[in-house]
Amino acid sequence: MRAVRFHGRGGQGAKTASRILGTAAFLEGFVAQDSPIYGAERRGAPVAAFTRIDTLPIKQRGAIVHPDLVVVADASLVQDPAARVLEGIDERTAVFVNSPLIAEQFQAKTSLPGRLTTLDLTDIALQQFGKRGAISALLGAVAGRLVGLQRESIREAIARELADLGLAAAVIERNQTTALQCYDAVPAVPLETGSPRPIVPVLLRTPTYEPPTRGTAGITAGPNSAIRSVAGWRTFRPVLRPDLCNGCWLCFANCPEGAIAIKPDGKPAIYYPHCKGCLDCVEVCPTDALTVERETEAAREA
Amino acid sequence: MAWEPHMFKELHQIPREEHVFPGTPLCAGCGGLESLRLASKVLGSHVVYVNAAGCFTNLAAFPFTPLDASWLYTTMGSAPAGAQGVRDALDVLIAKGRLPKEEDLKVVVLGGDGSTYDMALSSTSGAITRKLDFYYFCYDNEAYGNTGVQLSPATPYGARTSTSPCGVQHPAGTTQEKKDIFEIWRAHKPPYMATVSPRFPLDLEEKFARAEEYRGPKLFLAFAACPTGWLFDPAYTPDVARLAVECGLWPLKEAINGTVTHTYIPKRKPVEEYLKLQGRFRHLFEPTRQDEAIRHIQARVDDYWKQVNG
Repeated sequence: MRAVRFHGRGGQGAKTASRILGTAAFLEGFVAQDSPIYGAERRGAPVAAFTRIDTLPIKQRGAIVHPDLVVVADASLVQDPAARVLEGIDERTAVFVNSPLIAEQFQAKTSLPGRLTTLDLTDIALQQFGKRGAISALLGAVAGRLVGLQRESIREAIARELADLGLAAAVIERNQTTALQCYDAVPAVPLETGSPRPIVPVLLRTPTYEPPTRGTAGITAGPNSAIRSVAGWRTFRPVLRPDLCNGCWLCFANCPEGAIAIKPDGKPAIYYPHCKGCLDCVEVCPTDALTVERETEAAREA
Repeated sequence: MAWEPHMFKELHQIPREEHVFPGTPLCAGCGGLESLRLASKVLGSHVVYVNAAGCFTNLAAFPFTPLDASWLYTTMGSAPAGAQGVRDALDVLIAKGRLPKEEDLKVVVLGGDGSTYDMALSSTSGAITRKLDFYYFCYDNEAYGNTGVQLSPATPYGARTSTSPCGVQHPAGTTQEKKDIFEIWRAHKPPYMATVSPRFPLDLEEKFARAEEYRGPKLFLAFAACPTGWLFDPAYTPDVARLAVECGLWPLKEAINGTVTHTYIPKRKPVEEYLKLQGRFRHLFEPTRQDEAIRHIQARVDDYWKQVNG
């Protein structure tokens, strides 16, 4: 059995990618199963999806704890403990990360176990579709390549799944072409074919409790959500050019998050840990003092 | 007589202090959160929010809260009943002298369109009839957004949702009209009601400030442009919110003791400009243009404004 786990942020297409992979496997005559999981959280928050592929009927259900392949749609998730990307990864696991870094660089930076391979899908999506979110077909194709599915079944699976989402034929075709380019471009790593891993029964997870200072006690102390950073949600960041700002406060009034504060001199300041990168501020700015920059790992950590 | 703002005439009058803090797990570019944040600047921190289940369930995900006020969570159908309980408790405590009068709190119901237009309607009707002194803040994203964008009674004609897809039988998607909750509330004769849009922040702040003078049920319908459910890029939230007003689909109005005043009279651009921005209306334009459906939407808007202008 091949067990594939996808990690992405809501809106990046991890769920659709797992469906594409499952459908492609099904078209090749395999038995396939796919299921996503997203809790109460939403667009931008961590999402996971699971695909199981086998020649025999699959009797396992639920989350995949020991995946053969992990596909990560957003590199910033690796550092997020809540996303649990690293869970169950050992040196036998193949890991794909959507990142501009090459595998060795990424491995050195994050000390991920497993056999790493990377490709900058976001950049390809921006060039081809002008949209950062349009990577579901690309993810599906990459996953298909890594588990060893055929080009033709990937192409057909993309057509089926994207048509279900109501996309126009021309858009689907462009997705297929781009996805198959990624299929060819991704550096493949051999998957472990040796002895099957022992199936460990999954117990109900014991919750990890926050210390009282952050948990129950804090909740009576007023707004404590501000200690959470949502910086990982961004693909683009708004950047203020103070010389062009006329201090009209439109960005301050329109920021849904309250990530823009007004300094004593009446000019706005963006507090990046709280900015989800919706870019509403850039859209309303009358003097173009706010510009858009592609988010980078270095900038996010600064 | 033209509507005049009294307290909020320019953007620099918007209070700087925040009462809805960042770090919520709500979607990037959420129009509902934008409205709530602006509203809270007027409401202040002496507030109990009674939150019906919905997208705003995610506002205060334990152990975190973005509010510097109290928060009570209820089922979708019972937020106004919860507000009644909180209000009564406050009144009793103040009457008994166990709570100083200065520490009285405002009671604000937060409901989505699913609860406002649909599930909580009977309990809301009861609360208004009992003249409960509370604010009802509805973030109207025109669908059951939290559960995956299903049809709600607030979904407008022609929109595609996950339970009203555009198929052979219904090529235009949703076939029913948006329920007119404003008129349903008005029939109950509450002292204050208003519609607001986050793209018109001064209008929004002004209305919340005005409402403070009135005791009794106060309704605020906030236009909550929803990037996730309406399928547009979060960056366009302000544009969608602005065009909804400019095209006449979301009239900005208030009703004091039942008398309706429009606070902004748009020049009324064609509705197409608004529809074209959103993926939920894409099927009206491609692959084949559904002129009849677009004309229908335009005609509804025209009829509304004809009746307003007499």
